[in-house]
Amino acid sequence: MESVSYQRFPKIKIREMKDDYLKFELRETDASMANALRRVMIAEVPTIAIDLVEIEVNSSVLNDEFIAHRLGLIPLTSERAMGMRFSRDCDACDGDGQCEYCSVEFHLRAKCITDQTLDVTSKDLYSSDHAVIPVDFSDPSDANDPFDNTETQRGIIIVKLRRGQELRLRAIARKGIGKDHAKWSPAATVTFMYEPEIHINEDLMETLTLEEKLSWIESSPTKVFDIDKVTQQVVVVDPEAYTYDDEVIKKAEAMGKRGLIDIRAKEDSFIFTVESTGAVKASQLVLNAIEILKQKLDAVRLSDDTVEADDQFGELGVHMRGG
Amino acid sequence: MAKKGGEFKELEELVRHHIDSFDYMVDRGLEIMLDNIKPVRIYDPHTDTSLSLYLSNPRINAPIKDVRSRTNRKRLLPFECRQAKVSYTGKFEADVCFQYDGRPVIREKYNFGQFPIMLKSKLCYLRSADPQQLVSLKEEASEVGGYFILNGIERVFRCLIMPKQNYPMSMTRGSYRERREGHTDKAVVIRCVREYQSSLTDHSSVTVRLYYLHNGSARVGFWVRGREYLLPVGIVLKALVETTDREIYENLTSYYDEKYEKVKGAVGSQLLGERAKIILDEVRDASLFTQDDCLQHIGEHFQPVVDELENKTPYTVAHAVLKDYMFVHLPNFHDKFSLLIFMLQKLFSFVDQTSAPDNPDSLQNQDILLPGHLMTIYLKEKLEDWLRKAKSLVQDELKKNNTFNFLAVGDVRKVMDKNSPVTISTAVESMLRSGRLATQTGLDLQQRAGYTVQAERLNYLRFLSFFRAVHRGASFAGGRTTSVRKLLPESWGFLCPVHTPDGEPCGLLNHMTCSCRVTSYFDSQGVVKDFFDIRKSILGVLTSLGMIASLPKLVQAGPPKALSVLLDGRVIGSLPSSEIEKVVAHLRRLKVSATSAIPDDMEVGYVPLSIGGAYPGLYISTYPSRFIRPVRNISIPCEESQDIELIGPFEQVFMEIKCPDGGNGGRSNAFPATHEEIHPTNMLSVVANLTPWSDHNQSPRNMYQCQMAKQTMAFSLQSLRFRADQKIYHLQTPQTPIVRTGAYTKYSIDEHPTGTNAIVAVLAYTGYDMEDAMILNKSSVDRGMFHGQIYQTETIDLSDEGSRSDRSHRRFRRSNTDRSSHSLIDSDGLPYVGQIINPNEPYCSIYNDITNTSKPKHRKGSEPAIVDYVAVDTKSKKHLQKVNIRFRHPRNPIIGDKFSSRHGQKGVCSQLWPDIDMPFSGVTGMRPDLIINPHAFPSRMTIAMLLESLAAKGGSLNGNFVDATPFASTVRASNAGEAKSEPESLVDELGKMLKSKGFNHHGVEVLYSGVYGTELTCEIFIGPVYYQRLRHMVSDKFQVRSTGPVDQITRQPIKGRKRGGGIRFGEMERDSMLAHGAAYLLHDRLHTCSDYHIADVCSICGSILTTHYQPQRRIVRDIGGLPPVKAPKKVVCHACQTSKGIETVAMPYVFRYLAAELAAMNIKMTLHLNDGA
Repeated sequence: MESVSYQRFPKIKIREMKDDYLKFELRETDASMANALRRVMIAEVPTIAIDLVEIEVNSSVLNDEFIAHRLGLIPLTSERAMGMRFSRDCDACDGDGQCEYCSVEFHLRAKCITDQTLDVTSKDLYSSDHAVIPVDFSDPSDANDPFDNTETQRGIIIVKLRRGQELRLRAIARKGIGKDHAKWSPAATVTFMYEPEIHINEDLMETLTLEEKLSWIESSPTKVFDIDKVTQQVVVVDPEAYTYDDEVIKKAEAMGKRGLIDIRAKEDSFIFTVESTGAVKASQLVLNAIEILKQKLDAVRLSDDTVEADDQFGELGVHMRGG
Repeated sequence: MAKKGGEFKELEELVRHHIDSFDYMVDRGLEIMLDNIKPVRIYDPHTDTSLSLYLSNPRINAPIKDVRSRTNRKRLLPFECRQAKVSYTGKFEADVCFQYDGRPVIREKYNFGQFPIMLKSKLCYLRSADPQQLVSLKEEASEVGGYFILNGIERVFRCLIMPKQNYPMSMTRGSYRERREGHTDKAVVIRCVREYQSSLTDHSSVTVRLYYLHNGSARVGFWVRGREYLLPVGIVLKALVETTDREIYENLTSYYDEKYEKVKGAVGSQLLGERAKIILDEVRDASLFTQDDCLQHIGEHFQPVVDELENKTPYTVAHAVLKDYMFVHLPNFHDKFSLLIFMLQKLFSFVDQTSAPDNPDSLQNQDILLPGHLMTIYLKEKLEDWLRKAKSLVQDELKKNNTFNFLAVGDVRKVMDKNSPVTISTAVESMLRSGRLATQTGLDLQQRAGYTVQAERLNYLRFLSFFRAVHRGASFAGGRTTSVRKLLPESWGFLCPVHTPDGEPCGLLNHMTCSCRVTSYFDSQGVVKDFFDIRKSILGVLTSLGMIASLPKLVQAGPPKALSVLLDGRVIGSLPSSEIEKVVAHLRRLKVSATSAIPDDMEVGYVPLSIGGAYPGLYISTYPSRFIRPVRNISIPCEESQDIELIGPFEQVFMEIKCPDGGNGGRSNAFPATHEEIHPTNMLSVVANLTPWSDHNQSPRNMYQCQMAKQTMAFSLQSLRFRADQKIYHLQTPQTPIVRTGAYTKYSIDEHPTGTNAIVAVLAYTGYDMEDAMILNKSSVDRGMFHGQIYQTETIDLSDEGSRSDRSHRRFRRSNTDRSSHSLIDSDGLPYVGQIINPNEPYCSIYNDITNTSKPKHRKGSEPAIVDYVAVDTKSKKHLQKVNIRFRHPRNPIIGDKFSSRHGQKGVCSQLWPDIDMPFSGVTGMRPDLIINPHAFPSRMTIAMLLESLAAKGGSLNGNFVDATPFASTVRASNAGEAKSEPESLVDELGKMLKSKGFNHHGVEVLYSGVYGTELTCEIFIGPVYYQRLRHMVSDKFQVRSTGPVDQITRQPIKGRKRGGGIRFGEMERDSMLAHGAAYLLHDRLHTCSDYHIADVCSICGSILTTHYQPQRRIVRDIGGLPPVKAPKKVVCHACQTSKGIETVAMPYVFRYLAAELAAMNIKMTLHLNDGA
């Protein structure tokens, strides 16, 4: 049998990049790869999050579990996470997860001594590791903005204390993945869409009056089409705004102009939008995700089962090993 | 969060009828009641003096802490009662007046014990507190009161439907025929509420029935001491006033006029004369001619029955009987006479079918029983009993003890104190605690039990509903007839058609609509109304409008020429039927005008002339405990700003009220609408008003939602830390709904929110959403969606458990010897706050001084709990005796928990599905929190849920709340008039909102499979819907067992989840196994896992009972060093005296039990063993 190589070399083109936002194109691959990337970004890129809380004093209105849960959901800067150990595989501490290789310790001490309500926020968490701290959401660019929202400046509110109430605790943050608990998920949103290909049947379009054209353009809830002021022709202004809602196609049919527009999804081009929680930079998130995807594939390739499975799957195994 | 005073006005208004009735009882009711308890008279033959005892000057004090110490008088606050499990009571005192004949009155102060006090009543410390102060008193900011705290438990009075007071009702009852020979099944019945001079009342009532006899006469029936007495109507008529036969005849026949026969509204018939003759003949035949004759006759009859009057002349007895049992709402005998004539006319017209019977199940003929009123009459009976008992005690003492000084008040008092007066309040308290009346007479009430219920604070809506609930009466619950449960049009606007439970109490337990109120003794300024003045001014107005006032012996014309006018059950005159419409309109105008003396809640029950309809007349009511509701009077000229009229259910039936949703309601132009509904949502209860766009739902779904709203696990209390309730359900992070009705703001529901806005996708995704299952997104749950807790309080009171002897020697202390529990129990013997306690671990330790032992208390149940709070009662002397330990059970959503939207769409969580496998939107990246199956919609038709999803999506995109008040479009249309021809549909309006934000007009989105990343074949309807978490959770319900405790007799597994029992594998389950042929499984369930037993059977005699182990004599010698060899078992049959033929057979143990039972009946059971094959 002739061996056919299915290997492809996907291309990525970054369109927009901010610390917590990334938009890129992924081309020359298929939906399975795109979706795998999405799934890994959401659920398998490790981050660090508070996992164990020892409460010394809690006289606040919220109960211990509630506070522990809130602490867990605070995003921590997790650049270190890829290099850290899962506490369950940590040899240094026999897996009890309290050593420097697999955990970061936090302390929180807050007591309200004034009549003003005291907001205990993520800023009050003191980390034993300066690289792992609660994510700072304040935007340095508008620090001087007089209308700045002080809440984001102060960090994420954990609990509010009134006079005499106190909160004292020790928290252990560990490495984990979003599959186990959502608090370890570095991604706020990861989504991709198929790049649309839009062809207007110009001949048919010309049969429409200007009013009809306008109402047809209006039928799309998003601004995909517009009318050229000069030529009064319908032009595609933003194909990616199209949500595959078929509204324009339905409208064309309702106007009796079937075939007015042809929209196809390109099977091998995807436009990704990644928003990070701040635990890792959005760009790093993608790189980490690719790294993990590679590791997972390595795990499949290297495991003993695959050798036996070779007989069953033959070529596929070879292909997976990069053959 | 706390709002300024007056912000919760609408909420307070909802419970006002409870508080007002209690306030009136404290203010005036008790005093009136005491003044009208008949004095008891004790006669001492030795000194020939008589002593009369009566009560006066009642006082109830505000609750005070620790009654014993006089110096330290501290306020007892409601939250302390709840925590310490005591009652919120104040001291009830009154003067007992001792009057020896002729001498001045000696007043003695008596303590009648601790009387329960309603929260937020005038005696409660919370009354004047504003929300801020309420919070500092450890209450809810929105506390409304209206309930009692008894032994730490909050109990509310269950309002009951009563027959309308002082209104004669014609009724047909089969049982009337059985009263006596000659009776028909027809009668006119009136429930009279006792009234004294100047229109004061103590709410006790006496029902009088006027039965029709086959011979054309009638009997008056009334109940005295649990027996009904029947008197010929003629005798009563003659006994009431000095009259002649001719006058009676004329009065009775005045309603018949040949001229008007068969004319609309004519009620009299030719037969009237005949009947009048029969009635008069009856009296004559008994040879009673004068009033004195009749009184003498009645008096002789009742002398043995009525006490305190044994030695009086029959004349006085008769007078007393007529006063105390006949038409007790009318003190004047002439009025009683006129009313009896009126009732006879109504009865005859009813018999002649010129008027229709009144429906006792219709709200038109009903009132409501309020807590203050019941407490007054109950207290009255208890005090009367106490006085009677005191009398008999003194009399006994007089007989027995010669040294007893009757003239010394101190001595008499000592004797009287044998029957402790403190029990009076205890009786009232236990009545409220158990809801049961301990009464001999029945107090003219239909039921003895079920007067109070516990006010559960599962969530605020449930709590609120207790105050709005009205029960039809327990006696109807068991009945097979369903007519009482019917939703009648008469209850429109007063009782909510939606908010009634389905199932057993359906239609019997109703809820008042949000606008429905109950008339009270207080006017809008909070001043006690003077009914005497009110009636006088009404009388004045009516006379000035041309009413012919009724005078003794004045014969009035009847319908259709003139209509009788009854004011609170008193015939005050008649009005010409030509004038009446004008009079009614004028009265209504006076009602709404602020300046007139006519009260605004007066009911103008004008029953117009009709052919065979309700008996005509003008029935005016002013008394309290009637239902009322506001409507707009549109017949009043606009310049008068005040146009809100309060109407009652009796008058409503004959009024023309238009509703924006009802078009012209089929009215012709001849009868234009005179009134208008303020808003259509006024016909719904508070809870029903919270369903968004309920007018778009199928009606049963709205009913289900009312049920489920009350079972929701919600943010039940803000004052959670100060509560010691048995069980509190608490939702950790509730939200306010995006789509909300006007009621949310009006009733401050946001103070106690009940759910979460969840992103709901409607699609069949994994198969795990079939049959009302729903899939929750695991990550959403991880992030805290629907997280909750159950708080459970254990109260340990060392002073009331254990035997009396070691009661005072026990205290909380941990054992010094046993250090194993020191990690759980602190040095004071109580648990550490925040400590996790696992099942069967100790959580506190009780030390006994005498035995010198400490006994730990262990936690029951199957799941760990966290100690949330430990409260100690420091009041007691030396050691702690009483503690409350509150445990917290985490209750985060798991598979099997129940959720529901606000549209009766409930579902069970079937999977916590990983976020990455959930479908996602390509545009926004949004994954749903929750997936439900599209099949939930077609058959249930909960369109409002789809609308809610659309609206919430638009609302959240725009950052607005969306108003979803039902009937909004019709109201708008009727306000705008016919100006706008085609109003935009709701969907289009919502769709536009979505489209402007780049979403699909119909709320659908293209979703991609989370597993494959490919587009789903169809567009998915997705949007936020407010979801409630219901209190039914698997953690509290699951039942599983592999092995465990067994029943002693049968050795079968026991039942009961609490005890670790199993679920019965019953006959039908067995049948299904048989049908499947699953023999091995069947054997396993029914035998191996149940009472598997190996029995020794003697095959010779076939008995299983006679075999037993032969104790082996030790023949085996001990071989040095080795353990003794166990002798082989030897089983011997006792009957056959041999061990030959003993076989072992596996059988259910119950079989052996059966054999033993049979043997006890002298039946022998033998088994024939056979090798099978």
